[in-house]
Amino acid sequence: MPVTRKKSLAAVAALSATALILAGCSADGGSSDDNVLRIAMGSPGEAQIRVWDDVAAQYEAANPDVTVEMNYQDDDLYQTIGLPNLLNGRNAPDIYFEWAGARLEQRAADGFAADLTEAVTSGPIAGLFDDEVFTSLTVDGAVVMVPHSADVTNVLWFNEDIFADAGLTPPTTWDELLATCDALDAEGIIPIASGNKDLWAAGNWLAHLTSRVVGEEAYSAALSGDADFNTPEWIEAFGYVEELADHNCVNESVNAVDDNEGAQLFFQGKAAMHAIGSWLVSWAIDEAPDLNFDYVNLPAMPGEGNQESVIGVVTGYVVNAKSTKQDEAAEFLALLNNDENVQQFIGAELTPMTLSAASGEDIDSRTASLTALLETAPAIVLPPDNGYDLETANALYAALAEVLGGQKSPADAAAGIDQKLG
Amino acid sequence: MKPNRTVTPYLFLVPAMGVFGFAVLFPVIMTFAYSFTEWNGYGAMVFVGIDNYVKAAQDVLFRDSFVHVLIYIAITIVLEVVVGLVLAGLVSVRRRGSLWFRVAIFTPVMLPMVVVAVLWAFVYNNDFGLLNAALQSLGLEDLQRVWLGDTSTALIAVSVVSGWVYAGFYMTIFYAAFNQVPTEVIEAARLDGAGEWQLFRSIKVPMIRNAITVALLLCITGGFQGFDLFYVMTNGGPYGATEIPTTYLVKSVFTFQNVGYGSAMAVVLTVVVVGLGLIFTRVNREKPEEVRS
Repeated sequence: MPVTRKKSLAAVAALSATALILAGCSADGGSSDDNVLRIAMGSPGEAQIRVWDDVAAQYEAANPDVTVEMNYQDDDLYQTIGLPNLLNGRNAPDIYFEWAGARLEQRAADGFAADLTEAVTSGPIAGLFDDEVFTSLTVDGAVVMVPHSADVTNVLWFNEDIFADAGLTPPTTWDELLATCDALDAEGIIPIASGNKDLWAAGNWLAHLTSRVVGEEAYSAALSGDADFNTPEWIEAFGYVEELADHNCVNESVNAVDDNEGAQLFFQGKAAMHAIGSWLVSWAIDEAPDLNFDYVNLPAMPGEGNQESVIGVVTGYVVNAKSTKQDEAAEFLALLNNDENVQQFIGAELTPMTLSAASGEDIDSRTASLTALLETAPAIVLPPDNGYDLETANALYAALAEVLGGQKSPADAAAGIDQKLG
Repeated sequence: MKPNRTVTPYLFLVPAMGVFGFAVLFPVIMTFAYSFTEWNGYGAMVFVGIDNYVKAAQDVLFRDSFVHVLIYIAITIVLEVVVGLVLAGLVSVRRRGSLWFRVAIFTPVMLPMVVVAVLWAFVYNNDFGLLNAALQSLGLEDLQRVWLGDTSTALIAVSVVSGWVYAGFYMTIFYAAFNQVPTEVIEAARLDGAGEWQLFRSIKVPMIRNAITVALLLCITGGFQGFDLFYVMTNGGPYGATEIPTTYLVKSVFTFQNVGYGSAMAVVLTVVVVGLGLIFTRVNREKPEEVRS
């Protein structure tokens, strides 16, 4: 074959591969009209998968003519292309996991979120939740999501043994945090472990930090595209991130390793602190059962924001508006949240948001404390990647990584975000 | 019944053309069409004219991604093609035991790229990795780096892995080509007193120029199509230092769900690659007497 044609075909094939995937996305999705109830989510971990499978078995036993099909995907895959592909496929899920905020609003706008108002007020789900939790799950006057858990997406976990050996107490203010970093660094211990290769891990933590400095309203306005990042307040906020780097607060490899590798530094005792979310509890119990750890919320910052704010997001399950089995889906969600199954989830280190969960006695003390932290928070800050447009979130995350890695000054980083977003 | 000489040949082409149309032509046309839209992959599609192409032209990250891939290609030409050529020359000198070396050098080619990427990410890991540990044990602490987290080393580090994998592939191509060189030519050169180095430089390499041309073409196109190593090892980081067109395109389409913009970038990438291929072919056609082996 002449080289030109071979070359051209190779290039065309590369384009075709992309196009085939894109073409696949364009199919008009819809739920199958069969007796299979399909449920999709990212992987919740083995312990919770066992509960889900058991709930599915319970539903099938009560409804012998229906089969429940669980679809667990890799988290990152699910969050990006996985769910849209499923929703547009021929066997679209009848129930799917989603984050409250901009993503949920987009699903509703695209016609993939059924109106569950009746189901949660007078239907099978009525009375299972405090009515107030539906406020953030309502789009255009319709409840479109049944909550499952409220994740605190970032706190500062600390190794109690390392802190005790070093004679340190968990930092509660910015100055204390920097002093703690200095003390740990002097002893050759990584103060805070973070795996930020994919930008969200430290990004989430540092976004919370910036919100404390610029204030929740300015934070939300900038991430919503209603205000610029290149302001004195944001530059000041980025300045604190630069201070973290100056005090060697994070591992040198912060922007080279992923969140799993970052966590391993903490699990193996190489790092004294780890900035990550509430899911660390079950993860650490599984991978580092001997680790003595606890958490503090982000230390108070000098700034305009509420210094007791919590960064977190409600997650839950949406019934596909194109599903022909919306009633069955609502019944399944009611079964999922009955007392027995809620206790099963608590045993799997997840505390559902049902009213009955509050009376559970077997909740891990740290998990219970985090739930209380979120419930009593005077201000809740949404994580950029769940609560706002992903491109804007990524621009902020990239800028924070650049400042943390010493690649850009606070002023250049702030200006760079606006430039990138046009 | 007598076959119609005009129609029958085309009927035989129908199945192949059907597959080509479905698997190549249709997606290419659709990608081109999507490139003029703003679309998230499932919602309403809005026609935006050439806005996506204007955006691509102004996008510094997209332009940088081409610079990165060109650097990557330049490094891999050395580490894959040149090293592969040298390895082929070495294993073709002595027949005894060469099979073992060829298998050993070719083995990385058979490993899934994602596995290779994960393995090497561990090798390069600053805190647990083999490379820094080896440097430390040799007393070379000054050379220790956060290999994948340093903008000055990340692209080179990924390119080295690509070289480790594909040097064996090109070695196999060149080894086969060397075996096609007529033995009488080799013998004549030996009789004239040529040593192994002279044989390699003045006889073997010039006589496999066609194979080298194909190898360079494969290396260049393979470079533009590179994705998995970058995606797994650095995900375009640190600070975009290893962002190449394919990783940027995939992020745009699948992470940010800008299908229209991603399609425009795919079209630009294709045009660039096809254009480079045409130039490369034209340059080689201009010297037909040198191309023939």
